[in-house]
Amino acid sequence: MSAPAIAAAVRAGKTRARDAVAGVLARIAQRDRTLNAFTAVLHGPALADADAIDRRLAAGEDPGPLAGVPFAAKNLFDVAGLTTLAGSRINADRPPATRDATAVARLRAAGAVLIGALNMDEYAYGFSTENTHYGPTRNPRDTSRMAGGSSGGSAAAVAGGLVPLALGTDTNGSIRVPAALCGVFGLKPTFGRVSRAGVVPLAWSFDHVGPLARDVAGLAAAFDAIAGPDPRDPVCSMQPPARCSDALTRGIDGLRIAVAGGHFAQLAADEALAAVGRVAAALGARHEVSLPEAHRARAAAQVITAGEAGAYHLESLRTRADDFDPMTRDRLLAATLLPAAAYVRAQRFRAWYRARVAEAFREVDVLLAPTTPWPAPAIGAPWTTRIGGTEVLTRGHLGVYTQPLSFIGLPVISVPVVAPGALPLGVQLIAAPFNEAALFRVAARLEGEGVVGSPATLPET
Amino acid sequence: MSEPARVDEADVERLAAHIGLTIPPGSRAAVAQHLAALLAAVRVVEEFALPETTEPASRFEP
Repeated sequence: MSAPAIAAAVRAGKTRARDAVAGVLARIAQRDRTLNAFTAVLHGPALADADAIDRRLAAGEDPGPLAGVPFAAKNLFDVAGLTTLAGSRINADRPPATRDATAVARLRAAGAVLIGALNMDEYAYGFSTENTHYGPTRNPRDTSRMAGGSSGGSAAAVAGGLVPLALGTDTNGSIRVPAALCGVFGLKPTFGRVSRAGVVPLAWSFDHVGPLARDVAGLAAAFDAIAGPDPRDPVCSMQPPARCSDALTRGIDGLRIAVAGGHFAQLAADEALAAVGRVAAALGARHEVSLPEAHRARAAAQVITAGEAGAYHLESLRTRADDFDPMTRDRLLAATLLPAAAYVRAQRFRAWYRARVAEAFREVDVLLAPTTPWPAPAIGAPWTTRIGGTEVLTRGHLGVYTQPLSFIGLPVISVPVVAPGALPLGVQLIAAPFNEAALFRVAARLEGEGVVGSPATLPET
Repeated sequence: MSEPARVDEADVERLAAHIGLTIPPGSRAAVAQHLAALLAAVRVVEEFALPETTEPASRFEP
């Protein structure tokens, strides 16, 4: 069941929150040995939280719009009583968090029930969730393949029907890439729209928190619950959020929709571009818009990410280099050696690029682009892949179309295009800052017409 | 078009020493390769002629 359907049933007294949560725990016990999406399952606390929801309903209280909806969070989020692993062995030695991350606390305040913590790339510095310490998370659509990353556990848990809703983070594509590869919806909101308080950073200047869900209404309900100002996060916007659940029935009349060209149509498999074509045709989007110098934006995003991540982990690299995941250690070591001038130059380019893209959004409301250049690679795939005569990094190239967008904090929904018999692909719906509502209008239209959607990988219970 | 940056194991060992970092011997070749890739990305950014007046995007609000 979707998150809104569970909440409606619980609120109407047709289902107990305990039954919804117990069902999810049974599915996790049955399926997560294969998927390896969870690093911690909170059996007792989740059932206790569900019982508390049921008691409040019985007492005539309103437990919130997400009453009884099970959810899980990437283990980058603080959960009171759990150690925040951040996908690492090093952080496993830390004491448990004493307080929930803001996004976790807000979902709980809306009535949702936290089921557990989810696997990820170490310190969110990857696109594959082939975590050496905790094992790879497997893609529910084909368990020989990567779930994507770094929020791979989040996407796999949702796609596999283990939970209807999950929290992830996205610096360079870490919500959108796994959402696309696993065939679910993923929202990377505007930078500063959702609090990052209580989340271990990768790159402070463009880390984002967002939800993943199997349906647009669930994604919107989660976003509405977590968006908004937070004094615990110094970059969180004070601008009040627009309620996106109300936008789903507004249709797309008046929205100017175009396809992103240039960089966003190069070095991709045919099926990735075909997925964009299907979505564009359904929306009647005939025009193409080029975002200038998008390839340089991607390069600058790599430089800033490395500069900030290298600085953040420098002390651990000095004292515990051997305890890092080999998948991230050598890249972080290299990152510490970047010249400061390169970092500043990338931040200057960022200001220039932000202004040029803002100009483009005067002519268009929503842009379409592939999320990834190809479907999920096999776990353990070769380090490089040839595409269009060019050799690229198999894992790094997964972010080729996501990085130029999060680089300037634009809101993006990755919508799943799942053709029968084929691996899923994602299409990015991209808007100007703080215009998440336009994205939800388009996503709802596409879902309503059956162009995008996230079919179950197991029979529904 | 950017030429690949040349970085060898001795480079990373020397640079790391300046910041009190020891690169494990088994990692030096990979770190050199990753630093070369990062410097290639730096080159892509630097090849673009920014207006002198462009300030960094980072912002601090007390």
